[in-house]
Amino acid sequence: MIEVRLYGRLRRFAPKGDPAGRSIIALPHREGDTVQAVVERIGIPEGELGSNLFVSGRYAVLETPVEDGDRIGLFPNDMSLLYKWYFEPKGSK
Amino acid sequence: MERFLRIDMTGKTAAFEPVPDRYKGRAGRWLTSSIIHDEVPPDCHPLGPRNKLVFSPGIVAGTTAPTSSRISVGGKSPLTGTIKESNAGTGWGRRLARLGIRAIIVEGEPSGGPLWLIRVGADGVKFEPADPWVGKRLSEVYADLYKRYGDKDRIDICAIGVAGEHRMAAAGICFSDQEGRPSRYSGRGGLGAVMGSKGIKAIVLDDTNAPGVTLADKDLFDTGRKKLTEALTSHDITKPKGALNTYGTAVLVNIINEAGALPTRNFREGRFEGAERIAGEAIFAGNKERTGEELYNHACSPGCIIGCSNTWHRPDGSEHTSCIEYESDWALGANCGIDDLDRIAEMNLLCNEYGLDTIEIGGAIAVAMDGGLIPFGDGAGAIKLIHEIGEATPLGRILGAGALTTGKAFGVERVPHVKGQNMPAYEPRAIKGIGMTYAVSTMGADHTSGYTIAPEILGVSGKLDPLNPDKAEVARNFQYATAFLDSTGHCLFIAFAILDIASGFEGVIEECNGVLGTDWKLDDAARIGKEIIDIERDFNRRAGFTELDDRLPEFMTREKLPPHDAVWDIPAEEIDEVLG
Repeated sequence: MIEVRLYGRLRRFAPKGDPAGRSIIALPHREGDTVQAVVERIGIPEGELGSNLFVSGRYAVLETPVEDGDRIGLFPNDMSLLYKWYFEPKGSK
Repeated sequence: MERFLRIDMTGKTAAFEPVPDRYKGRAGRWLTSSIIHDEVPPDCHPLGPRNKLVFSPGIVAGTTAPTSSRISVGGKSPLTGTIKESNAGTGWGRRLARLGIRAIIVEGEPSGGPLWLIRVGADGVKFEPADPWVGKRLSEVYADLYKRYGDKDRIDICAIGVAGEHRMAAAGICFSDQEGRPSRYSGRGGLGAVMGSKGIKAIVLDDTNAPGVTLADKDLFDTGRKKLTEALTSHDITKPKGALNTYGTAVLVNIINEAGALPTRNFREGRFEGAERIAGEAIFAGNKERTGEELYNHACSPGCIIGCSNTWHRPDGSEHTSCIEYESDWALGANCGIDDLDRIAEMNLLCNEYGLDTIEIGGAIAVAMDGGLIPFGDGAGAIKLIHEIGEATPLGRILGAGALTTGKAFGVERVPHVKGQNMPAYEPRAIKGIGMTYAVSTMGADHTSGYTIAPEILGVSGKLDPLNPDKAEVARNFQYATAFLDSTGHCLFIAFAILDIASGFEGVIEECNGVLGTDWKLDDAARIGKEIIDIERDFNRRAGFTELDDRLPEFMTREKLPPHDAVWDIPAEEIDEVLG
C-alpha cells in the first residue's frame, strides 16, 4: 500500500479533509509507480501541485519512483515554501 | 540630511552628528555591523560599558517601497559572544528613517540607578526615569506609553521586558506592531540584555513633523517599487490570500514535518505526531471556528503587502496572542512535545510579555525537559516555567540564560546549538544545507542568515545544477544574499517572490539606487553581502572565534535522527570551504 498525505486545498481529494488533522488516502501499490502516476489515480490536476512533493520524507519530483510502503506528501503550489536548493530530489539523476 | 544620533548613557547625553563619508549608503545590517566592527572592542564584555547597541533602518525603510519597514539592531551578543544583528518588522523602523536618523548608537553605561525612557522626535531627545514601567508586563507598559506619548498613529515603541531588565541572555528587544501590540521582536542573541545593561527600558519615536526620506531619483525608485510590488502580489506564496497571508509562517509546520526535518522533543526525532494540530492550517481553521469568520493575516508593519502576521483566538473568540510564527509554534510546541495550540499561544503571549526570544526559550525548556525537570508534552508545566523566568527566580534565570546554560545546569549533552545559540526549526541532519548555514553563520545557529535566494539570480557563481547543488557554494551565496537583503529594509520573505520572478529582484536594486543615487547592478548585491559577512567574521575572529567554532554539536554526528536515521556527516573541510 501507499499512503498519500494531502495538505491545503488538496485535502478535498481525501475522504476526511480536516485542516487540523490528517487527510490521508491509502492506495494499492502498482508496478512502476511514480509520483505522477499516483497523482493521476487520485485525480489531482497537475497544475495544482507545486515543488514541495515528498516520498517518504525525501524531496521528490513527479518522475520519482514510488515503492510499496512509501508515504507520499503533497502540497499545493501556493504552499511550496521549502526551497528546492536544499535538497537532492529522490529519484533524480 | 541624514544623521547619526549618539546616546551616551554614562552622562545621559544625546548628540546628532553627520554620517561619516565612509558609511554613506550603508543602512540596516550593513551599517550596524560596520559600526560595531569599527567602534566596539571585540574582547569587550557584552554587558559592559565598552559594548554598544546600534539601531538602523534599512535603505528603503520609510519610503513607499512594499514590505520595507525592517529595523536592524546590532551589538556584541551576550548569548554567543559574537557580533549580532537581529531585525524586526515594525513602524518603529519606518519612523526612525522618516526622522532622518540613519542610526542610533547607544554607548556607555549608567552607574547603577534607575532605568530610563528615551523619547526621540523631530523636536529633539528627552530622557525620563522609567520607574513606572519597570517590572511590568509589556502590554501594560505599551498601553501606558501610548496614553502618555501619543496614540499608535503617532508613535512607535521599542522596549525591553523584565528579561532584559535582568540582563538575561535570551532577552529580546520588543517593537510595536501596527495595532500597538508588543509583538515584533529583534529576538535573537540577547540584545534585550544589552539594552538593559545600558539602562534603557524604552525608546519612543514620534515622527510628527519629520522630514521623511529624500529620494535621489524618484522615477527610478518608482519603477523599482512597481516591479517588486508586481512580483509580491502575483507570486503564490506572497500574494493576498496566498500561503503566508492565509496560514502565516506556521504553514511550514506540515511541510517541514513531511520532510522529516521538524525537530521534535529536543531534536530527538524529525517528525512530530501532533504537527497537524499546531500547523498554520490548524490556526486558520481554529480561528474560523472560534470567531465565525475566515481570518486572513495582517501586516506587522506599515507598507507590508505580504501580511503574514497572525492572531490566535480563545474559545470565546477574543484574541489570545499575536503572532504565532513558525519558529515560535515549533519551539514552544513540537520541540517541547506540546500539541495544544491554546497552550502554545499562552507561552507565546508570556514570552512577548516578559520580553523573551521564543526560539531560545523553547530550546531551553526542551533541554530542561530532556534533563528531567518536567516531562515532554507538559504544557501546563512549561507555562509555569516561563512564569519563573518572568519572576526571575533562580530556576527562571537559568532558563532565561538560554539552552546551553540550561544544558550545563541539568547535565544534558543534547543541546542543539552553534556558538551558544539554540538551533531554530529545521533539523540539520535532514536538511544538510541549513546545517551548513548554522555552522558558518556569524551569529550562531540562525535560519535567517542564509534562507532563500537563487545563486544564479545574483550572478555570483554561474549556474548551479539544481538537482545536485554544491552545498558549500549554495550556503555561501545564501549568506551573501541575505546580508544584502537585511540591509535594504525589506523583509527576507520577499525572497520567495524575487527568487522566482527576476524582475522583482531588479526592482529591489532600482529602489535602492533610487533612494541612494547609486548605480548598483544585480552583481553588487553579492559584493555588498560579502563585504558585510567579511566585516562580521573579522569581528568574530578578533573576539577569539576560529573555524573550530563553526561546528555542529557532537551528538548530531552520533545520534541517528528518525525517520531518515541520518547523522550529521558533512566533513569539517567542506564547512570551512563555505566562507574560508
